[in-house]
Amino acid sequence: MKQTTKEKRIEHRLQPGVLTLSGFMGTDKRYWQEIVAADEAKLEELGITAEEIADRMQYFTDQSWDLFDRELELEGKFSVETEVVRGKLPCPFSHAGIYRKAFTILTRIDTGESLRWSSLNLHLIRDHHFFEGIGSPFRLNPEDLVRILF
Amino acid sequence: MTELILRDIGILTLVSVVFAIILVIAQKVLNNYGILKIRINKKRDVEVQGGNTLLSSLADKQIFIPSACGGRGSCGACKCIVTEGGGPLLPTEKPLLTKQEIEGNVRLACQVKVKSEVQIEIPESIFNIRRFRTRVTKIEDYTYDTKGITFTLLDPDKISFKAGQYMQLESQPYAKMKQKVVRAYSISSKPQDETSFQLIIRLVPEGICTTWVHQYLKEGDEVYLTGPYGDFFIRDTDADIIFVAGGSGKAPIKAMLEDLEIVGCNRKMTYYFGARTTKDLYLTEYMQHFESVFPDFQYVPVLSHAEPSENWQGRTGFVMPYFKERIENPQNTEAYLCGSPGMINAVTKGLIEMGVAKDKIYYDSFG
Repeated sequence: MKQTTKEKRIEHRLQPGVLTLSGFMGTDKRYWQEIVAADEAKLEELGITAEEIADRMQYFTDQSWDLFDRELELEGKFSVETEVVRGKLPCPFSHAGIYRKAFTILTRIDTGESLRWSSLNLHLIRDHHFFEGIGSPFRLNPEDLVRILF
Repeated sequence: MTELILRDIGILTLVSVVFAIILVIAQKVLNNYGILKIRINKKRDVEVQGGNTLLSSLADKQIFIPSACGGRGSCGACKCIVTEGGGPLLPTEKPLLTKQEIEGNVRLACQVKVKSEVQIEIPESIFNIRRFRTRVTKIEDYTYDTKGITFTLLDPDKISFKAGQYMQLESQPYAKMKQKVVRAYSISSKPQDETSFQLIIRLVPEGICTTWVHQYLKEGDEVYLTGPYGDFFIRDTDADIIFVAGGSGKAPIKAMLEDLEIVGCNRKMTYYFGARTTKDLYLTEYMQHFESVFPDFQYVPVLSHAEPSENWQGRTGFVMPYFKERIENPQNTEAYLCGSPGMINAVTKGLIEMGVAKDKIYYDSFG
């Protein structure tokens, strides 16, 4: 794939050791644009938009933000907590803003399935439709998100 | 025919080379800003090589403006007032500045290039900040994810700081990390130790600097730090004190208590330490020893996720419900908080509801 200078810069920032220890690509050999396109196709198949998913994730993060070290039960089937640690991360797509290292852990009480996302995940999904490469520690599969979040 | 083609190629090559040389010379001339003056607080001048960022130009003159991201424009810590010569506000700065800051000529020192004479305003305390070459002399495991690191100063060999202030640690390249990063950590030892200091560092998942500290840093290593920074320190009053910390937020409170032990303190003090389980508690006996040092001090660990198997006999849940056990006179109470933004928000709300004045609540937020 022929990449522009800007796209190459993004590709570089997604690699391990640039912004985060393990980077955003995992073991995925695809270009980030291909990952975005594949996940967008999956979203269409699932009948949902990235923004709708991000809205739902943001709701859980907001609800648990001030309950430090405590879980909150929501809607009778979710347990959620958000932990904030020191530090902030910039967006690898050079989007304006920086994101707290805040991790939300959502568990479905009925199935025991759980998801973990960071503030940066939320931004990457909402604004860039980037769910990260397969094998990345913070990769979120659209199918898992739809199944667990709603 | 071939001769003509070769001649044309030769001419074209020559023209290209000439243009390239002109371009290189022009670039050198146009980008050479020469030696420029930075006027600080209307009374002190430093001369720097033009063309570099304000942050690095000042650092070259041993003036260290705080920066947690090493000048990448992502942390927003290197704010300073630029009254002249900063050029237009850049799109990279806008997201990190409030409307009031923009109106007040606040800029990010890492984004402003020194291309003409510049006038800036910075806090006087910044002149006390130095870059220290140190040696790691002790690494202690406090919990499964928290270490205490002692740094002995090599050059300069002495430091002056206030208990509660923080240092910026420079990590070195390791594994896949090709470049150093800079991160801020509170000093956890007393300021009377002028030749060394300790930091308490908790491992952050995927954290570049904390992974380096936990997995690569060894006793005997040479490490660079800058500091001290910050305005989180105990106010000299006679008010009662509530300390609240969680995780590595224990560091500045430990420094404050050690400092008070030396200078003496008769104030009523209570220290609430929030942790998830008994595995997250550390330095408990050491903190309890302050109960015999001060006339009225209590250390209160509170666990949020204590398992029945842990047989925890202490307090559980949030720390806030326990404030009423010790706060008798909210109007004469100060609070010092260190931890996550969620913790700071919740505790601040709880204290204000009890009648503690908002301007008496001081905090160092992880956010």
